[in-house]
Amino acid sequence: MNPYVLTTLILSLGLGTTLTFASSHWLLAWMGLEINTMAIIPLMAQQHHPRATEATTKYFLTQATAAAMILFASTMNAWTMGDWNINQISHPLATTTVTLALALKIGLAPMHFWLPEVLQGLNLTTGLVLSTWQKLAPFALILQISQNTNPALLTTLGVMSALVGGWGGLNQTQLRKLLAYSSIAHLGWMIIILQFMPALTLLNLTIYITMTSTMFLSLKIMASTKINSLALAWPKTPTLTTLIMLSLLSLGGLPPLTGFMPKWLILQELAKQDLPITATIMAMSALLSLFFYLRLCYTTTLTTFPNTNNTTSPWRLKSTQITLPLTITIILTLMLLPVTPAITTMF
Amino acid sequence: MALTSARLLTRTVHEKWICAHSLTLRPLVCINKAAFYGEYRRPGQAQDRTPPWKKIRFSFAKGVQGIRKHFGLLKDEAMERWVGPQGRPLIEHMLEQTRVQWEFRGPESLEQWLVSTDREIGGRSEAYLKLGRNDSACMLYGTLCSTPPRDGETCYSGYCTLRSRQLLSSFDRKKNIDWSSFNTLYIRLRGDGRPWMINIAAETYFSHQKDDLYNYFLYTRGGPYWQDVKIPFSKFFLSSRGRIQDNQHPLWLDKVSTIGFTLGDKADGPFQLEIDFIAVCNDRAHTEEFAYEMYKRNPEV
Repeated sequence: MNPYVLTTLILSLGLGTTLTFASSHWLLAWMGLEINTMAIIPLMAQQHHPRATEATTKYFLTQATAAAMILFASTMNAWTMGDWNINQISHPLATTTVTLALALKIGLAPMHFWLPEVLQGLNLTTGLVLSTWQKLAPFALILQISQNTNPALLTTLGVMSALVGGWGGLNQTQLRKLLAYSSIAHLGWMIIILQFMPALTLLNLTIYITMTSTMFLSLKIMASTKINSLALAWPKTPTLTTLIMLSLLSLGGLPPLTGFMPKWLILQELAKQDLPITATIMAMSALLSLFFYLRLCYTTTLTTFPNTNNTTSPWRLKSTQITLPLTITIILTLMLLPVTPAITTMF
Repeated sequence: MALTSARLLTRTVHEKWICAHSLTLRPLVCINKAAFYGEYRRPGQAQDRTPPWKKIRFSFAKGVQGIRKHFGLLKDEAMERWVGPQGRPLIEHMLEQTRVQWEFRGPESLEQWLVSTDREIGGRSEAYLKLGRNDSACMLYGTLCSTPPRDGETCYSGYCTLRSRQLLSSFDRKKNIDWSSFNTLYIRLRGDGRPWMINIAAETYFSHQKDDLYNYFLYTRGGPYWQDVKIPFSKFFLSSRGRIQDNQHPLWLDKVSTIGFTLGDKADGPFQLEIDFIAVCNDRAHTEEFAYEMYKRNPEV
């Protein structure tokens, strides 16, 4: 892509998210969301493959639908309550509509069907942007409306997302789809705690972005998009293979890795709110997700597959890819649990 | 007299209005499906204007049978989810380096295939599919005739094709084949020296892609010995409605729909092709991703 065009699109992505962060009016927030959608469309379609075009079209249709719903709900609230302020949305129908619209935007179950197919059609870099950066703006709005949303709706969305994310990722052999279902499950955890402690949602989002970035960057360095190619990547980068295993366990929420932190805090808060059954269901659904993370660890690192590959020692060559972002995100993915008290004071 | 003339005038004006607007009014009344979906209609054949409700053949017994079949398939799909991808343990998926996708070992294997010729457009070619000796291979045989049909529109004729049926899951949903662990097509066949073309159709999304196929040539030897053909998937090029496209891209193997064999070498006469099996394998020595480089056309100087 022309570097000027690429720069414009990346800056537009930043502009859209910043606009939504900085806005207190629904129209400006909606504009920021639309700028984000429009800016990422050329990035998704630059591969010129029919699957990329299909992914772009599906993404555009879902995001445009969600944005239209947001506009409709905010207009309805302004008409009935006379207020355009984001955190003053109070009409029940408007609140429900905007919650569902934002759920569609980020890919919460049962509005998740677009996410695996869209991610499968993209390359890993664009998939990373879609899974991380594109979630920030909708979450900024979700956090602002959290006090006015229907608690039962949030609980339903959260539990359903955690279960669907675990169930859907069970038999995936394509890594991008697996990460899509992982994303859906993590979003469920974020939403379930939103009504009780929005700070934990923000913490979970931050840690999820870190862990997902680690996975996408690792897969990019290994140039793997399938389980089979990941299983034979051990001669390429033995160190990264080990770190991928630990990152997957962190995604699964196992101590003493960073991923345990949000799950622990969320379950603790749910228990404090006298919701043991919800906490149990969430913990059980996390087991489903943990199963496929562990299976990936097993195939990647814990076993040496008998399949031969013709790359016996490429790892001795210096990599031409930039590894600094991966280095930073891996450290954050693996080593933040001991500093949990410091992190909780920040949120 | 004046009244009659006035009536005639208004009728004429009215009729003229109807004639002038008939082309625009007609689609509002009955939609021309062929124009929308690009269906082929043989020249000279009248358009099928039967309304959809007259095409229904209601049968209660068939409905009950269908419900049982589809719910059974749905139950199987839910159960096989507990086993692994495509109902097999993951270890099998990881370890397999070859997979026989279609093999002809009994009469039921022929039901997975469709044979068609230019007879559908009015040509005179014939093609038949039967099992070979000992039920061990299939034989596609017939006669090719490249005389075009005399309908005033068709210029070329003389082809026959053998295509696998689209796999269907419960409730007639399309099921695709995942060949992403493999990179080579392996076919064991015995031809008669004619050049065939292998067509692979992948899952598409847009309606303008419905005729997209990935093709490669298959040159048969014609000897008494069986021929093992290995074609890497990186060699397949994209065509749409038989025309090779300028913008090429590699075949994505995670959603393959059908495979087909086409003969259209403009040589009239009998033909014969025996196929033992169609398999896919993973040739680790083959590292090419796509055989056709796409240079930037009209580069900025």
